[in-house]
Amino acid sequence: MTYLPTAEHDELRAVVRELADEKIAPRAAEIDEKAEFPEDLRQLLAQQDLLGTCFEEQHGGTALDTLAQTILVEEIARADATTSLIPIVQKLGALPIILAGSDEQKDRYFPRLASGEWLIAFGLTEAAAGSDVASNRMRAVRDGDEYVLNGSKRFITHGSVANVLTVFAITDAEAGGRKGMSAFIVEADTPGFAAPRVEHKMGIRGSPTAELTFDDVRVPSTNRLGEEGDGFKIAMETLDRSRLGIAAQAVGIAQGAIDAAVAYAADRQQFGQRVADFQGIQWMLADMASQNEAARQLTYAAAARVDADAPDLPYWTSSAKLVAGDTAMRVTTDAVQVLGGYGYITEYPVERMMRDAKITQLYEGTQQIQRLIVARQLLQRAGVAKRGS
Amino acid sequence: MSNDILFLAEFSAGKPARSAIELATGAADLAAQSGGSAVALAYGSGAASGGAALGAHGAARAVVLGDEDRPAITYAPAAVAAARDAGLAVLAPATPNGRDLAAALVGSLDLPAFGPVRAARVVDGVLESEQATLQGSVITTARPADGAPTPSVVLVLANTFTPAEGGSGTAEVAQAPDAGESALSRATVAESHEADAKVVNLEEATVIVAGGRGVGGEEGFAPLRELAEALGGAVGASRAAADAGWIPYQLQIGQTGKVVKPSLYVGAGISGAIQHRVGMQTAEHVIAINRDPDAPIGEFADLFVVGDLFEIVPALTEEIRRRKATSGG
Amino acid sequence: MKIVVCIKQVPATGADKRYTADLRLDRTGVEAIINPLDEYAIEQALRLADAGTADSVTYLCMGPDQASEALRRALAMGGDDAVLITDAALAGADEWTTAKVLAAALDKLAPDVALMGMASDDARGSLVPGAVAAMRDVPLLSYGSELALADGEARVRRLSATGFDWIAAPLPVVATVTDQVGEPRYASLKGIMAAKRKPLETWSLGDLELSADDLHGAALTTVTDTRAPEEKPPTERIENVPAPEAAAKIADWLEQRKLI
Repeated sequence: MTYLPTAEHDELRAVVRELADEKIAPRAAEIDEKAEFPEDLRQLLAQQDLLGTCFEEQHGGTALDTLAQTILVEEIARADATTSLIPIVQKLGALPIILAGSDEQKDRYFPRLASGEWLIAFGLTEAAAGSDVASNRMRAVRDGDEYVLNGSKRFITHGSVANVLTVFAITDAEAGGRKGMSAFIVEADTPGFAAPRVEHKMGIRGSPTAELTFDDVRVPSTNRLGEEGDGFKIAMETLDRSRLGIAAQAVGIAQGAIDAAVAYAADRQQFGQRVADFQGIQWMLADMASQNEAARQLTYAAAARVDADAPDLPYWTSSAKLVAGDTAMRVTTDAVQVLGGYGYITEYPVERMMRDAKITQLYEGTQQIQRLIVARQLLQRAGVAKRGS
Repeated sequence: MSNDILFLAEFSAGKPARSAIELATGAADLAAQSGGSAVALAYGSGAASGGAALGAHGAARAVVLGDEDRPAITYAPAAVAAARDAGLAVLAPATPNGRDLAAALVGSLDLPAFGPVRAARVVDGVLESEQATLQGSVITTARPADGAPTPSVVLVLANTFTPAEGGSGTAEVAQAPDAGESALSRATVAESHEADAKVVNLEEATVIVAGGRGVGGEEGFAPLRELAEALGGAVGASRAAADAGWIPYQLQIGQTGKVVKPSLYVGAGISGAIQHRVGMQTAEHVIAINRDPDAPIGEFADLFVVGDLFEIVPALTEEIRRRKATSGG
Repeated sequence: MKIVVCIKQVPATGADKRYTADLRLDRTGVEAIINPLDEYAIEQALRLADAGTADSVTYLCMGPDQASEALRRALAMGGDDAVLITDAALAGADEWTTAKVLAAALDKLAPDVALMGMASDDARGSLVPGAVAAMRDVPLLSYGSELALADGEARVRRLSATGFDWIAAPLPVVATVTDQVGEPRYASLKGIMAAKRKPLETWSLGDLELSADDLHGAALTTVTDTRAPEEKPPTERIENVPAPEAAAKIADWLEQRKLI
C-alpha cells in the first residue's frame, strides 16, 4: 500500500503552512493565555474551505483524501494545537453521520458543516465511565416519533461552541452499553440541552472542553443514526478513524517545537559559540527530528489504511496515535531543555507546546487504551484473541 | 544629437522641489563630462520663473512644459516633444511623479531606462550609471546597449547629487512649443482633499523623527513630536504605525509610502524592515533607538542606541533644548 | 468591464539570489513568488469583480515557463483566465522590452483596465506601467490606494503631499495600485482546486507578431559590471547606559556632525 505524498499534497502543505505562519502562529500565545476559543481563526479556516475537507463535493466539501486531511491538521498544529482541533473535531463529530447517517441526514447537516457555518461536536465520554465507554449511563427513551434524552457528558471538545452534536445514549439498559447504545444527532438549541461548564486545562487552552447536560431533550427519531443498538459500533468505528487526527496533531506540535528549538539553537550564543554547535545539542535535535519523522511516516501509512478501509485499520491508527503522542511529549520536553531557562517561560512557544502535547497522550483513547487495541489486533492476527474482546 | 543632459525639474507652490535643485547639480556635472549643457524640463506652478533657481545650480537652459498645478503625467506630451532626439540623457527624480513622466518618455520614444541610480558618469560619450539591486546586496553598472536610441532615461535617487551653494548663473528660460494632447494628458484631478490632521510634506523635510511599532500607540508619538520640534524637523512613521492608525498615511515612510532624504533621520521603535529601509536609505545620518539589540535597523544605522525610547527620546529632547539655550541659539 | 492584471514572478525575499556569468539574474533553483506588490493589484481587481463592477479578470505575465506557477497562484485567489508570455528571446528583458511585450499583449486582450502593482521587488524602476500606457496611447492612473470604475471612467485615490486626490481618466486606462488597497486574500482550498481547471494560455513572441529584432535583442540596456557594495562604516552603539547619559552622547554625536 503506497502513501507517498503527491505534488498536490505538497502544494496543500505549502498553502496551509503559509496561512498558519502568517495568521495562526501569531495568535497562539494569546489564545493560550486567555483560554479563549479562536472564533476569528474558525472563520478564517471556514473561509479558506479548510473545515470541509472530509465532506463530499455535493455537500460543499472538498473531499480530500485522508493523507491530505492529515497534512492539513499537522500544519495547523505546528502553529497552534488549539486551532488544529477545529478541523479535527469537525471530522470527529461528523464521522458518525458519514459512517451511519442516511442520505437525508447528510443532506440536512453536511452543507452547513462543510462550509464551516456550523461546528459539530462528538458527545460520547461520561464522567463516571471515561475510557470504559460500555459503562455509559446516559439514557434515551423512545416516546412516539421522538427520543427523550436525559443525563450528562463530560470532556466534550467544542461542546459549548458546537451548533450540533452527535450524542451517544443507552436505549436498552438491559442490553447494556455494548449492545444497547444508540447514536443521535442533537442540535444545540434543543430545549433541555445545556453546556453549563468548561474545564480549566493544562494545554489546548483555547479549545473549550465542556460538560453537557441533557434534561428531557426531545430529539426526533429521524435524528437517530443507524438502528437502535448500533451506537457502540458507530462510536468505535468513528474513533478508529478519528484518532488519526490526534496523531497528525501530535506530529504537528512536535514539528513546531523542533523548528523553534533549531531556530533558537542556531541563534543563541553560549560560551562563545552557537548553542547549535554543541554536539550534545545536535544529538538532541537529531533524535527529536528523526523520531518525529518516524511518527509522521507511520501516521501517513495509517492514513492510507483509512482510505482503503483496511480490515486492520485500528492496528494502524492506534499505533500511529500511540507513537506520535509519546513522541510529541518527548520532543516538546526536549525542546524546552534545548532552550534552557527560556524554554520554561511564555516568551517562547515551546512550554506551551509541551503542555499542548500532553493531551495527545490522553484524549480519543489514552495511550493505555491504544496499547490494548494494538495488542488485540496482534493477537487476532495470530489467532489467539480472547473471545468477546 | 547633442551631448546635453536634460533633467525633469518639478515645481510646486512657486518653488522648485529639492529634487529639481539636486538634478540641476547632477546634470551640470554630467554635462561638463559630456561637453554639453544642462537643460531643465520644468513643470508645475513656478516653473516659468524658475530660471534663476535652476541656473544657480548649473542649468544652462530651462524649457517650461507648463506652469500649473496639475497631475504631472499630463505634462507628458510636452516632455516627450522636448526630449525627442535631445541630448545624451534625461534625469528624472525617483519620485512617483518623476517615474510617471520618465515612463512616458520611455514608452513614447522607445528609450533605454535606468535606475533608480545612486551614481552616474559619462564614459566615452555614453552615460553609465550604478544601481543597487537585490535589496542592496549587489551594485550593477549599466549603459545603453549598442545602437540604442538616445537620450537614456535615468531615474535618480535623492541625495545622489549634493547641491553646492547657489551660484550666480541664470538659466535661459523658453516656453516649450505646444505639443498638443495625448491620452496621457487626459488625467484630471476630480476631487482634492486635505488630510484630517495637518501634515507636512516629508519629502522636503531635512530632519525626520520616525516612530514604529515600538511607539505603541497614537499617544506614543507625543515625545517624538517634541524631539522633532527641538531638532526643527518633522515626524514620520513606519508602515506598522500607519496601518495601526496611529498616524496618517501621508507620513508613512517606506517602499509604499514616502521616500525621504533628510540630513538626519531618527528612527524610534522601528525594527528596520527592508520595506522601510527603501524609504529612508538615502538619509545622510541615521540614528536608531530600539530596545531590541538585534533589531535589523542596527545594521544600517550610523548610531544605534539600545534602550527604551520613552526614556531616551525625552532625555534627548531636554538635552538638545538645554544645549541650544546655553549656546544662545 | 474587463480587467487584465499584469503580474511578475520574483525570487522570494530572503532567497539566495545571484547573477549568471552573463550578468543576468539567475532564476534557477530559487523559490519564486508573485511579486508581493502585484498581489494588491490582484486584490483590487477581485474586489471589483466581487462587487460586480468587473465582469472578468485575466492575469498576464511575462516570464519563463515556471512563471505559470505564479499565474496558477493568482487564479487560485480568483479571476477567470491567464496568459503567460514566454519566449527564449525574452531572456534578459529590460523595462522597455517588458513594456513593449505587455503592450502588444494588451492590444490583443483589449481590457478596459490594465492593472499593475506599484513596483516590483527585484527591480525598482516602476517604469513599466507608464511605458505601457504611452505605447498603447491610453491614460495612466498611478499609485492608487483605491481604484474605482464608473460611467466609462476610472479613478484612483492617490495620496498627495498633504492629503489625497481622486485622479480620473476615461477608459481604457493603465492603472497601478499601492498596498493600501487592502490585504490580499489567501487562496481558498476550492480556489486552488478550481485554478487547475481555469484556462491558461501560453503565447510566444510570434503570437504577438513581435520578433527579437523589434525588441532590439531583448533590451535597450546592458549590465557591464556587478560588484559588492562598499563596506559601510561600522555602526556606533550606545548601550547599557542610563537615559540622560545616552542623551548626552547622542547630542555630542549630533554636534560633531553639526546637526544641532
